[in-house]
Amino acid sequence: MTNDSINQADNLETEKQVREKEEEEELRKLLVPPIEDLPLIPPTAVDSNFVAYFATDCTKAGHDQYVYRHANGLCVIGLAPTHVAFKDEGGITAVDFNVGKSDRSGFKVTGKRKRNAQHFESNTALCKVCTNSDSYIVRCCVKGSLLEVNDRLIKLPGLLNSSADREGYIAIIMPKPADWVKIKSSLLSLEEYKKLREAS
Amino acid sequence: MSNGTEDVAQVSSVQAAEAAHVISTDVDLQIAGEDDEEMTPLNNAVRSFPFDAVKDLSSKEVCMRCIFRLFGVQVPDFSLSQPAILRNFLGEQTDSIKQLEDTEPKSCSICLGVLQFAYCNDKERSVKKESANDLAVTIADLVKKEGYQIDSFLLEVSLPPIISENENMAWLYVKNKYGSELWFQERSLSNRIYAKEALKSALANPLETLLFCRMSSVSSFRIRLTYTHAKATKTVQNFVERNESCTENGLDSVKDGSVSTSEANTITQRSSDGLLDNNSSEVYGLPLEKVNEPCRLECLFNRTPIYFGGRYLKYSRNVSQTRWIIDDERMGEASIEEIIAGNILPMCRGDNYKFHAAGREDIDVRMLGSGRPFLVEIQNACQVPSELFVKEIETKINNLENRLIRVKNLKVVGSEGWTLMREGESEKQKQYTALVWISRPLQDEDLQSISSIKEMQILQRTPIRVLHRRSPLDREKIIHWINIEKIAGSSQYFLLHLCTQAGTYIKEFVHGDLGRTNPSIGSILGCRAEILQLDVTEVKMDCFLDE
Repeated sequence: MTNDSINQADNLETEKQVREKEEEEELRKLLVPPIEDLPLIPPTAVDSNFVAYFATDCTKAGHDQYVYRHANGLCVIGLAPTHVAFKDEGGITAVDFNVGKSDRSGFKVTGKRKRNAQHFESNTALCKVCTNSDSYIVRCCVKGSLLEVNDRLIKLPGLLNSSADREGYIAIIMPKPADWVKIKSSLLSLEEYKKLREAS
Repeated sequence: MSNGTEDVAQVSSVQAAEAAHVISTDVDLQIAGEDDEEMTPLNNAVRSFPFDAVKDLSSKEVCMRCIFRLFGVQVPDFSLSQPAILRNFLGEQTDSIKQLEDTEPKSCSICLGVLQFAYCNDKERSVKKESANDLAVTIADLVKKEGYQIDSFLLEVSLPPIISENENMAWLYVKNKYGSELWFQERSLSNRIYAKEALKSALANPLETLLFCRMSSVSSFRIRLTYTHAKATKTVQNFVERNESCTENGLDSVKDGSVSTSEANTITQRSSDGLLDNNSSEVYGLPLEKVNEPCRLECLFNRTPIYFGGRYLKYSRNVSQTRWIIDDERMGEASIEEIIAGNILPMCRGDNYKFHAAGREDIDVRMLGSGRPFLVEIQNACQVPSELFVKEIETKINNLENRLIRVKNLKVVGSEGWTLMREGESEKQKQYTALVWISRPLQDEDLQSISSIKEMQILQRTPIRVLHRRSPLDREKIIHWINIEKIAGSSQYFLLHLCTQAGTYIKEFVHGDLGRTNPSIGSILGCRAEILQLDVTEVKMDCFLDE
């Protein structure tokens, strides 16, 4: 090998290294965000991915539930902070999905087409939540297919007391897109809900 | 017949078969060459044709090329206006020349004009070419007009089924009428040349000359000649109908309809070898129904797909991988497939493209680092671009003003690019960087507890955001490693670098998806965790990594 070709090889090598270094720096620049642009407290995943609706006094006074609707049409059902069960001493102590004609946690929905999903009306019972003094029926609020219930609540009913709006959700229901307009009209928006409950 | 004569007959037929073999080889040679002197072997072959039979067929609206075929001789490309061969062949019966020249039918009753190079073009105009070469010129002109750059070609011919029915009928006719004559027995039935083959071999040489390349059965460029005829389906249907009426009317048709019954039988026999013995010669009625209009010819070209491989980077959080339209509304400002394939397609002048990639990222996720392997399939390209040209395409894409994406190592690859890209696609590791916020200040212990995680198994229920279209499942995924990188000036924001098994839902692994992904960054740190931004920094695949 002549000196020239060695030099050339060296040059190529250094060129490659330089380019790699440049790419590395470019990547760093892209990854590290300008801190001043970040909000002090960012919106939560629930806030940004769902629109919140409420069903107040679900068949009984104080039975307030939320419906979080994802952009894909799926609805997460849970207990609103004003649900009367939270007012009982010790909060919620047990959750029982064995209501109505069947155990709601006993169905395994499978496949893209959601085989085995049960079709429920908005007033169908989803589960029963118990406190030390009473028990309350939680309803679907949304007419549609029951995709899943949060069976962690059977072992960890306390999730309802700590984070009813997140890990303590009750169920996921998929309404038919055509039914949604009617369902929506039966629910309150977040503002309407706040106004109603702040007033009372 | 005595035993003695039978033996003699067998011996002579064996010799004849050998002789016929020699002749047909010579004929092939003749077709390749155009020298007049080499015409002699063909002439010999032709001279061996029984004049009566030729005259008979010719008088029944059968064209010269079909007569040649029926006698098992490959059709040479002679011009019908100067039937020198015919004249030579008829040298012994000179008084008949004029008569036979005049009998070349306007439209052959067997090949419906296909071997007379007559057809109806797409402008509904009847065309009659003088020779195979003239038809080849028309085809070659079309190839050039559409601008194909080719280095070989493949020829496909499709004929209406009625032609093969006619062929069978004609063979049966000849067999029945001349089966007992020596010249017929000399010709083995395996010498039958089908119209399709006759047309292909007549076109092969002139096309090779005109297109400056060889015909090949493995060529990526296909010339397809499709002949169709309006009569075809009708005639077959008539036979079927007649056949049905025969069975319905029972005795009546057996009595008076010997012709129609037998014709119908011919149709049913055609799927067998079509040459079952039948002694009544008038059954196979020639001439066949007279056909006035020629077949419609459609000439189509197609090139098998060509593939471009490479890796793409995506710098925008508003560009989807493929065109994404919901209710007539475009999601995102552009798509990767449209930018990349949309720039390649016109350069190759293809009909259409397909975009394939090794996995994909969400519309709001950037693809950085060494990029993601992709494959662009260009259908029916006129042109296969040179290496230099491919580099130009790459530069063009990379210099687009909006700088939404970038392409690396773009090159033409074979169809094995598929295998390369699919190989290990599901086992591949992917690296990400996420911008994360937690609901309490980050502590030093957190950095340790997180970085100690190695090969951790997590369970992801199908995320709610895709649950409407994907099956509800518990999916087991592996987190290979995680690191936290602090961001100066913030205690609750940090960068999370992680490497996971392909198919892990990273956003859900950070925020926990209502506890449906477990463990999650939130559950590990015992607080609320939110993900603000996500970037793919590495797709660990060797595919298209080198220039």
